[in-house]
Amino acid sequence: MLSYSFMVRALVAGSILALVCGPISFFVVTKKLSFAGMGISHAAFGGVAVGLALGVEPTIAAVIFCCLVALGIWATSRKGRLNEDAVIGMLFVTAMAMGLVVVRFARLYNVDLMAYLFGSILAIEGSDLLIIFVLGTLSLLYIVLFFKELLFIAFDEETARASGVAVDPIYAGFLLVLSLVIVISIKLVGIILVSALLVFPCAVGLQWSRNFRGVVAVSQIIGVLSVGAGLYFSYRWDVPSGASIVMVLFALLLLSLLIAPRRKSAVDLLRGKEGRAGGCGGR
Amino acid sequence: MKRRTRCRVRDFFESPGPRDVITLQGVWVRLDGSVVLQDITFSVREGSFLGVIGPNGAGKSTLLRVILGLVRPDRGKVRVLGMDPRRLRGELHHVGYMPQQINFDTFFPVSVYDVVMMGRVCCIGPMRFPGKEDRKAVLESIELVGLKGLEKRPIGELSGGQQKRAFLARALCLETRVLLLDEPTAGLDLDAQESLLRLIARLKEERGLTVVLVSHDLGVLARYADELVCIRKTMHLHGSPLEVLGSEKIKEVYQCEFAFLAHLRGDCGSPR
Repeated sequence: MLSYSFMVRALVAGSILALVCGPISFFVVTKKLSFAGMGISHAAFGGVAVGLALGVEPTIAAVIFCCLVALGIWATSRKGRLNEDAVIGMLFVTAMAMGLVVVRFARLYNVDLMAYLFGSILAIEGSDLLIIFVLGTLSLLYIVLFFKELLFIAFDEETARASGVAVDPIYAGFLLVLSLVIVISIKLVGIILVSALLVFPCAVGLQWSRNFRGVVAVSQIIGVLSVGAGLYFSYRWDVPSGASIVMVLFALLLLSLLIAPRRKSAVDLLRGKEGRAGGCGGR
Repeated sequence: MKRRTRCRVRDFFESPGPRDVITLQGVWVRLDGSVVLQDITFSVREGSFLGVIGPNGAGKSTLLRVILGLVRPDRGKVRVLGMDPRRLRGELHHVGYMPQQINFDTFFPVSVYDVVMMGRVCCIGPMRFPGKEDRKAVLESIELVGLKGLEKRPIGELSGGQQKRAFLARALCLETRVLLLDEPTAGLDLDAQESLLRLIARLKEERGLTVVLVSHDLGVLARYADELVCIRKTMHLHGSPLEVLGSEKIKEVYQCEFAFLAHLRGDCGSPR
């Protein structure tokens, strides 16, 4: 299968994405942003549709849509009467609905929307590979440079703020990086399934390690493995690549739950069980 | 650390003592439209131990957040190390903070070492990585609070008292001159409370720290604080533990705990 250049492109692109999504999924899981990830990725549908209708490159339109939704989430999480959860719930359905309306009026029936929704190994072209490489590297660079701040924020935001960490801009930057990574992953994994790459790798990593270094490393390995195997199955059985990647990720999670040393505790973290360091609330 | 010290705080440290490390003048705070703090005025001498007491919901944590620069007062003036705390950004390595409760996930994958290293984040600076000096400071700080040997343990596996010590180490791993503690003993059993407070009192003496400790528990503070401030929205009492706890007014503030207070009054003269 490696004799096909589209397959090689898909594998290279997928591996880059997996390496970037490893550390990002760590913060998505520990900062409980998986719903935000889903919201931002679904908003890309609106962007893709508007881009196709206006004749603008769909990726660029999707980046704009996703970043706007990310900034909306960020702004309401800072101050606002609505909680983040509700805002995400409203923003992303609105963006998707807008996409559907645009699809209807612009009569975009000849475009393969399935490929955008569920991913396709045929979709990655040479230029996409370049974009994935450049934006992926920049995103990874952001995460590496601000890792200690992001870790502090994810662990204890209030003290991070009190210690002089520029919480708001760094968190906003993270959400923008998240949007970028989501958009560049869409062609391969699809709008509906892209959030899997933002949750599964860390969820599996947490089964294997008790330290963030190990968790991130395992996340990346899991990502590369699942992208490789998923693309193979996609090629072999002609299923959308996003679907096969997610199925591999799910299988790896199940396997880890069965054999990994830390399985119980990691499940608790994903359930959101919190350990209180003590104290009663007060002003 | 030399790389971050600016002249303004240095001016403060070079000024002749005795100096007031923290000064509040007529501070009012409104949160969501309701007054939480009303006309608070006091100052904290360098090297002293101030206890802030008051019943639950009295505004004690807000007061600490004002001192930290996290909450902006609607009226009044706040000075920490001679500066507005919200402009203290580059000097925060002089201020250590231990929050009331940290709702971290028990399984958050960080070790004690990683947690204490978070305290160094502000002096390492953005887009930089911890150096040898930072690693040394973290290990020293861990040893100081008596957690040596537990550096690599995941934070969630420690007991409540040990976790508090780790957070104390995080607040101390800088050139800390001011230590702000919000209910540090809450949720601990009596033994752990005692040993944590003794540790704080010892560190205060050894390092010449200025300590501000907030607690709703009078017994905790009576024996360790040099001065007490009793607040319930506004400031009711300010003085030595003996004066404050001996005052008739305190029973108005605390309303129902009079018998307990009477017991304490006999207690607060006991040796530290």
